[in-house]
Amino acid sequence: MEVSFSREVGMLRRGNGEVFEGEGILAITKGLLEAGVAYVGGYQGAPVSHLLDVLVQAKDYLAELGVHVEACSNEASAAAMLGASIHYPLRGAVTWKSIVGTNVAADALSNLASPGVTGGALIIVGEDYGEGASVIQERTLAYALKSSLLFLDPRPELAHMVRMVDEAFALSEAASLPAILQLRIRACHVRGRFACRDNVAPAVSSRHPMDGPAPFDYAKLAHPPVTFRQEKTKVDERLPAARRRIVERRLNEVFDGARDDLGVVVLGGLYNSLVRALGALGLADAFGAATVPILALNVVHPLVPEEILAFCAGKRAVLVVEEGSPAFVEDAILAILRRASAVCDIEGKGPLPAAGEYTVEALAQGLVAFLGRHAPELALREGRAWLASVARRRDEVGQALAMPLPARPPQFCIGCPERPVFAAMKLARETIGPVHVAADIGCHSFATFEPFSQGHSILGYGMSLASRAGVSHAMRKRTLAIMGDGGFWHNGVVTGVQSALFNHDDAVLVIMKNGYTSATGTQEILSTPSDAAKAASGDQGRSVVASNQVIERTLEGLGVGWMRVVDSYRVEAMRATLEEAFTTEFAGLKVIIAEGECQLERQRRVKPRRAKLEREGKRTVRVKYGVDEDTCSGDHSCIRLSGCPTLSVKDSGDPLKVDPVATVLDGCVGCGLCGENAHAATLCPSFYRAEVIRHPHWRDRAAAAVRGTFARVLRKDAA
Amino acid sequence: MTPVAAYGDTRPVTILVAALGGQGGGVLAEWLVDAASRAGFPAQSTSIPGVAQRTGATTYYIEIFPVPRAALGGREPVLSLLPVPGAIDLLVASELLEGGRMVQAGYVDEARTMLITSTSRTFTTAEKMALGDGRYASERLVDVARARSRQFVGFDMDAAARDSGTIVSAVMLGAIAASGALPFGADACLVVVDASGAGADASRRGFSRGFEATRTALALPATPLKTTGVASRAPATVASAFAHELAAFPASCRDIVAHGIERVVDFQDDAYARLYLARLSRVRDVEAATDPRAGHGVAVTRETARFLALWMAFDDIVRVADLKGRASRHVRVRREAGARDGDVVRVADYFKPGIPEIAGLLPPWLARRLAAWDRRRQARGRAAFALPLTVRTDAVGGMVALRVLASLRGWRRRGARYAEEQAAIERWLDAIVAALAQDWATGYEIALAGRLVKGYGATNLRGKRNLAHLLDHLAAGPFATPADRARAIRDAREAALADESGLGLDAALVRHGAPARPVVAQPIRWMNKQSPVANAPGSR
Repeated sequence: MEVSFSREVGMLRRGNGEVFEGEGILAITKGLLEAGVAYVGGYQGAPVSHLLDVLVQAKDYLAELGVHVEACSNEASAAAMLGASIHYPLRGAVTWKSIVGTNVAADALSNLASPGVTGGALIIVGEDYGEGASVIQERTLAYALKSSLLFLDPRPELAHMVRMVDEAFALSEAASLPAILQLRIRACHVRGRFACRDNVAPAVSSRHPMDGPAPFDYAKLAHPPVTFRQEKTKVDERLPAARRRIVERRLNEVFDGARDDLGVVVLGGLYNSLVRALGALGLADAFGAATVPILALNVVHPLVPEEILAFCAGKRAVLVVEEGSPAFVEDAILAILRRASAVCDIEGKGPLPAAGEYTVEALAQGLVAFLGRHAPELALREGRAWLASVARRRDEVGQALAMPLPARPPQFCIGCPERPVFAAMKLARETIGPVHVAADIGCHSFATFEPFSQGHSILGYGMSLASRAGVSHAMRKRTLAIMGDGGFWHNGVVTGVQSALFNHDDAVLVIMKNGYTSATGTQEILSTPSDAAKAASGDQGRSVVASNQVIERTLEGLGVGWMRVVDSYRVEAMRATLEEAFTTEFAGLKVIIAEGECQLERQRRVKPRRAKLEREGKRTVRVKYGVDEDTCSGDHSCIRLSGCPTLSVKDSGDPLKVDPVATVLDGCVGCGLCGENAHAATLCPSFYRAEVIRHPHWRDRAAAAVRGTFARVLRKDAA
Repeated sequence: MTPVAAYGDTRPVTILVAALGGQGGGVLAEWLVDAASRAGFPAQSTSIPGVAQRTGATTYYIEIFPVPRAALGGREPVLSLLPVPGAIDLLVASELLEGGRMVQAGYVDEARTMLITSTSRTFTTAEKMALGDGRYASERLVDVARARSRQFVGFDMDAAARDSGTIVSAVMLGAIAASGALPFGADACLVVVDASGAGADASRRGFSRGFEATRTALALPATPLKTTGVASRAPATVASAFAHELAAFPASCRDIVAHGIERVVDFQDDAYARLYLARLSRVRDVEAATDPRAGHGVAVTRETARFLALWMAFDDIVRVADLKGRASRHVRVRREAGARDGDVVRVADYFKPGIPEIAGLLPPWLARRLAAWDRRRQARGRAAFALPLTVRTDAVGGMVALRVLASLRGWRRRGARYAEEQAAIERWLDAIVAALAQDWATGYEIALAGRLVKGYGATNLRGKRNLAHLLDHLAAGPFATPADRARAIRDAREAALADESGLGLDAALVRHGAPARPVVAQPIRWMNKQSPVANAPGSR
């Protein structure tokens, strides 16, 4: 795993009166333990990866408490795990990246929501929306509405978020409905502090297991005819129960203000930004005391009509602050007021943008428009001036810069084993021509950026091979699908491989076997090399993924008739294998497994080991590649075939050469790609490989001495 | 008024950090929040790592309420999770372009924001992959950043971190501590650095480097910055043999001519240098006639001197072996590899001579036969013949091999490649001279077109083909005015350097009424996809 959470694990143990300091998502994790959760599952993905990561690393402590943690194979299996709470008094929580994870989990969620739950069931979704998001921009709320799930969007203040975890479990039990707790990206990564409570060991758990199963109860099955009854129960009993508790526990917060003829209804997660926007307009102070009353909805579904009506009573106009579209909350509030024939102008999308993240600037613009219409007596001079100055500044800077700044998208890490595969693909294109490339989710999706700029579609995690089905039949050439081992286990083996085989499709699949789900933080999977294999890997720098053959055996078992395993750093071999796959007579599915362990994991082993040896004065060998500046002609074809962060350019230092020459920066891990490319692409003779031996053996020194003597004779311009 | 309300219009200190993923920005944010809460101030940080942690551009945002918690009577300030444009007190950037990006986004306010940025550049892939020089002008970034900020501090954080053997975040923390933006002292920051365990000493060194650099910069009035590193080599020392010839050139281009002479002597011999000077004199004389008062600063002669020298010293096997076999090169390799005294360094070089390289050293008649054989081979669908070699050039065998190859210098003149290059060079020179006699600008553009010829193997061939096509159809072709011709040649040259595929070049050629370059035959092999067959797996 990429990050070590030893300090955070200590935080999880803290009890009454102690203070927790750390990240939002870890505060939520602490909240789960304080709420007496019995089992936790999920699938990693930004921004919620750390929840599972820290619990996996805290397994000893969790064993003491009797809390079970499961790293699920995908979000569907995580959602299905919550089925435990249908019959049994177990509080369970699962987590994933949304919207994508919720899409994958949707089937199980519906079948969980229909019979409902006995023990509290909580789904913590990282709403990957707005700046920093890596997925399609949709909102999770829609699922809560159609499946009658409770939906919480807490105000992003650690103590409050932790309280909401506890309340969400209780609410879920009171309404026997599963609850979604949504956290935006920045709420997951917000760093703050809160006062802890003791953790609660679950009454029923792996330490205190149940003697037997629950009695047979057809009513708890998601199966007709009871499904019809369950649909009624949702609206007649469960949602009303939820509304009663929301009111009793005051889960939604009203912040009074002097201007009680106006108001703002805001989703809890957006509260801090709203307050900052009001502050910029001179309508709120540092502690959130605002001129305009605010209703913060920590529970967005179900809404409580009485609460909405009470807040809007006597107000001329209310602004609804809700990111994205459709405007579910705004429309619902309009309906509530109309049904009650209450008179109050509701605005939302209009003054505020219909799509995109609500930044403080966007909110301020919306407030200015809203107040300009309903409270023109407020001049808001300061605020208007600020908004105008920001807009003016952007224009002026844009003109001063003359040309827009080059973008800096994420890219493959230094020495990544996947980069060489795309170099080979670029070279193979010269001999087999362009082909349709079905791309996928994972680090390899960085190949859609420069210098590789390839890929025709991305249909979801593990979906690349499946997405070629409709293209393949209408294309003379074979199609190429790219999949990581993460995507392979997430679902690609079933949605892609199985269906390609069953339908006899003549396609090519490249599987990046790097041994981990690297893009999400190198979490372990079925094809991760064992600790024993890692320990046995000599200098620790070598890839050890070859020691795990689960993927190969799985593919053989499924009946893949053409499979090649290629060391991903061998560019020439990979190019030849790709050419073979596209030119062979074999008409079935052709699978190329590009084998090379995630460089992050390898460096996590290599660096400490080398440091230790150097401290002890023992022999170490470090490899660094380099470029001879006087033979480099500054054409940069090597960079167009690599894009490695450490393969850069510098001034030539030659008064005759105008173009910068290539150079290898410190940080090169000596992966070998530069040399491989130099040969495979017949680049130029400028690349060299240097092995630096520190604390050399006497043998090294003797050999060096001999070479030195000859060098003095043989080398031109030798001193 | 209660003391609490009194702080109602107190503004939190806002710090925006712009960095590259994986540079330790998260650690920096953690340090700051930790330091603040140890000092008793409410503080919060947010970030958006996601996939940006894979070396993409990213930001970290910190808010510190400058009133001790103890004085707030239990009330919590509402801190923002998002940075607000124009409402940033301190912007710290670990890289110059990322600092500029924040200015472009409108975060930096002329009246409020202090901007502390590293002057070091980590070039983006788009900048690095250009065929020519695609780097964004650092000077422009610095000028804009300086002009748009209340106070500007720029220094090389990269070097500071490297020298201190730590990551840039420690240097940034030092800079922040010295900025005066924090409601607590530098010592409070050092406490958390020391508590950071392993590497604390290195972090401390980095911290003081950042602290000192910032404090000094803030004390001094704004001084212009040097943003790009590497200095040029010292002016060439030319054998007195050529002092006389050199004197015959206008002073404004003597330095380049001197470097040129040095280059071709180093490549071949004095005779070759005389050939260089003879060729260059033609251009000099015609330019003198066209532009007697040197209104253009003899730029044609100067640029011809540059590209002629580079072309005449073409990189063949002999040249490469010569350069790689030098003691000075071995010293440079040791330095670049970061070897210390006592370390043993082993060096392997990557060569892949093909038929063109080998034939280049043979007499033309033999070279032609070899080339023909290689073409037949490729027509049969095989790859072009080439020998991938990885040579231990630090070992005795490798050193001997390099010396032997370098000693073939004399043969070179009789080789096919030498003949080809000289012919192509003459063609280019004739075009320059012919055009220059008519119109200075056209001659200048053709001289600059010499930049197209560089690289090895296929790259070098492509460059020469492009230049030849440009000479045939633009230098020779009909144009309404000389200015049109000059513009056409410039467009074509820039297009040729803009993309590898040459599509842009062809477009430019056509745009100026010239034919696109002839398509070079290239064997493509693939298997048409087949309908399901019996041998397909899973067949039932």
